[in-house]
Amino acid sequence: MNVIPHITESLRLEGCTILGALSITTAIRDAVTVIHGPSGCTQHNFSLLHATFLADGIAALPHLLSTHLTEDEIIFGGEEVLETLLKDISAPGPGCIFVLSTCIVDTIGDDTSAVCRKSWGVPVIYLPTAGFLGGGFNQGLINTLMTLSHRIEPVEKQPLTVALIGEKNLEYEVETNYAEITRLLNLLGVRVELRFVRDLCFADIDRLGGAALNILREPLLAPVGQMLEWKFGTPFIDCMPEGFSGTLRFLAEVAHHLDLDAPPALRKETAHQDEVCAKFADFRGVAVNFGAEHRLSGIPAIDEVVTTLGLQPTGEGVMLPLPVPVPIGTAGMERLLHRWRRVIHVSL
Amino acid sequence: MSHCENPLWPCAMTGAVACLAGFEDVAVIVHGSSGCYFYPASLLPYPIYGSHLLETEIIFGSGSRLQDVVTRMPGTHAAVAVVTTCVPSLVGEDIHALLAGVGGVLVVDAPGFIGQFERGWQAAQQVLPARVDPEKTGVNIDGLNPIDPFYRGNVLEARRLLSLAGLSPGTFFSSDRFQSLSQSGAYTLSTNPDLTGTVGTPAGSLLGLEATRRAFRTLGDRYPAMDGDAVEKEIARAEERISKVCDKFLRRHNPPAVAIFGSRSYALHAADLLTYSLDASILCIGSRNGPVHAAYPAEEMTEFPSIKERIERDHPDLVLGSSYEQSVCGDAAFVPLTPPIRGRIFLHARPLIGPEGALLLIEEVLNGCLDRMKKR
Repeated sequence: MNVIPHITESLRLEGCTILGALSITTAIRDAVTVIHGPSGCTQHNFSLLHATFLADGIAALPHLLSTHLTEDEIIFGGEEVLETLLKDISAPGPGCIFVLSTCIVDTIGDDTSAVCRKSWGVPVIYLPTAGFLGGGFNQGLINTLMTLSHRIEPVEKQPLTVALIGEKNLEYEVETNYAEITRLLNLLGVRVELRFVRDLCFADIDRLGGAALNILREPLLAPVGQMLEWKFGTPFIDCMPEGFSGTLRFLAEVAHHLDLDAPPALRKETAHQDEVCAKFADFRGVAVNFGAEHRLSGIPAIDEVVTTLGLQPTGEGVMLPLPVPVPIGTAGMERLLHRWRRVIHVSL
Repeated sequence: MSHCENPLWPCAMTGAVACLAGFEDVAVIVHGSSGCYFYPASLLPYPIYGSHLLETEIIFGSGSRLQDVVTRMPGTHAAVAVVTTCVPSLVGEDIHALLAGVGGVLVVDAPGFIGQFERGWQAAQQVLPARVDPEKTGVNIDGLNPIDPFYRGNVLEARRLLSLAGLSPGTFFSSDRFQSLSQSGAYTLSTNPDLTGTVGTPAGSLLGLEATRRAFRTLGDRYPAMDGDAVEKEIARAEERISKVCDKFLRRHNPPAVAIFGSRSYALHAADLLTYSLDASILCIGSRNGPVHAAYPAEEMTEFPSIKERIERDHPDLVLGSSYEQSVCGDAAFVPLTPPIRGRIFLHARPLIGPEGALLLIEEVLNGCLDRMKKR
């Protein structure tokens, strides 16, 4: 429960920069992540990531190290501890080492960057994620993707391939969203070349420039898309598809960027969407409610399906939950409709 | 202090917040970043609040933000408690002075760098305005930790036992209302000796059947009108049921070799119960929160790699612990004992204390062992 902030204060509720960065660094199998700060920061995040990994059926646990700063290091500085730790963990030669700073080390003024710049024999990548002093969750996520992107060299383009940029690794539906994207791309004969960054090795990231098209998880990641376009000439779509018509538009956009024939795929998907809608014919005329102020939800993808299925938005109908974020593709919308039907069953 | 790898036990801030949040009409505010707020918020069964500081508020002072948050708390709360996290604590703002005009605010300085969960729990206990009311005859219960998977079960089992004995409940630390703090009883029973409080004379622990028996005998000396027989009979019935089912298990199977990981008191309790009732061999106790002095092989283990290594080395038949241990216990039977328990759904109340707690633990252990044998 939060004290509700003004919209301009939404940064307050984003969560920690560290978790945003960790959502990326822990998706690299051969990477080690060091969190430079008290052990509590590492424990919190290890616990949250452990829960997420379990929910995704990932058996491995994230490999997180903490410099474990206590009152002594807070007073006298923690750079020495970080240096000793990097010496220890660089020796076995992990794919790379990420070093994340915390709010406490920024406050005491440790020069984390300088320690990381020393020669360690393996890539040691400093991510300035000073908790809330470094922004919020999204800033941690974007900074990490940008930092990794900067390191990559151009490679030969692979035709009919895409890279997925910034999948939300902590999102409960991340794999079902991926399945939907691959289903849609298959309609066009396109494959995913790289998931940047999910379940890969550090060296795999070098393939990023080879994708013919980048698909961002959400518009928030536009700076990453723009940077990759500038660096590798790769065009991008700024969001995964939301809603029925959004899904068709997505297919058309992919086809346009890759110079493919869209109509056959669009016909197939339209027929599929018609089948999905037919399953929910019983929704027609049901009075639903999205809150007192608005008759419709105000979310285009949701309002489209409400209208298509003939639900009747009123101020007094069945209160339907609005999904955050909006489900991806036709499959995501179908799952949402099943959730709504459950609510309607319970309420009527 | 050397570094650590995948640490497993929460920090002092989380302990302080957990202790305070158990008082349902206390508005607990995590004074720090949203990152610090989200972790305890994800674990606690109660709502908590956050000041969700931004960078500018650290540079220019977080006082007005905190005042704003405190004054916007719903008036339904009996008290407001502010728990400071690492940076506000380090910056050294005088929170008491900042909130002087607001009044009635409890302030707990519990930055993560001062130590682990228990340290914060104790810090919070010290600021709670608890006092013994000589007019009250209720018995206090302490050690009730809202992030413990046995929290609600322990609350209910403690109430049931007090009711059986004809005793009235005093203050429950921490599962109560703020007002009860001024009406604490003279005696206190513990559900978790790692989290003992400061109010009331300790009368013993409810962790284990023999401990429960001793604790109620102690109370019987103080309250002669108490119905001690009812509790004694309940314990005897549980012992009989445990004895019967364990004997049946041992007619067909060897006792399990067990590795136990968790907070010191819970782990020792489980080891004692399994040794006594099932003749289990305890391969190791890995304590999350300090050294263990016991007849079992035991050491403090607070990092995931050491636990993984120990389980792989010892090949236990049965592992008691958290979902961390579960993830590396291979084909061993697993019984949840320690938070976090991720990846499974718990809805009903599960006690660890008293007769029902002992019955549940034995039930889970035997079912786990039998299921494992069926799979083989």
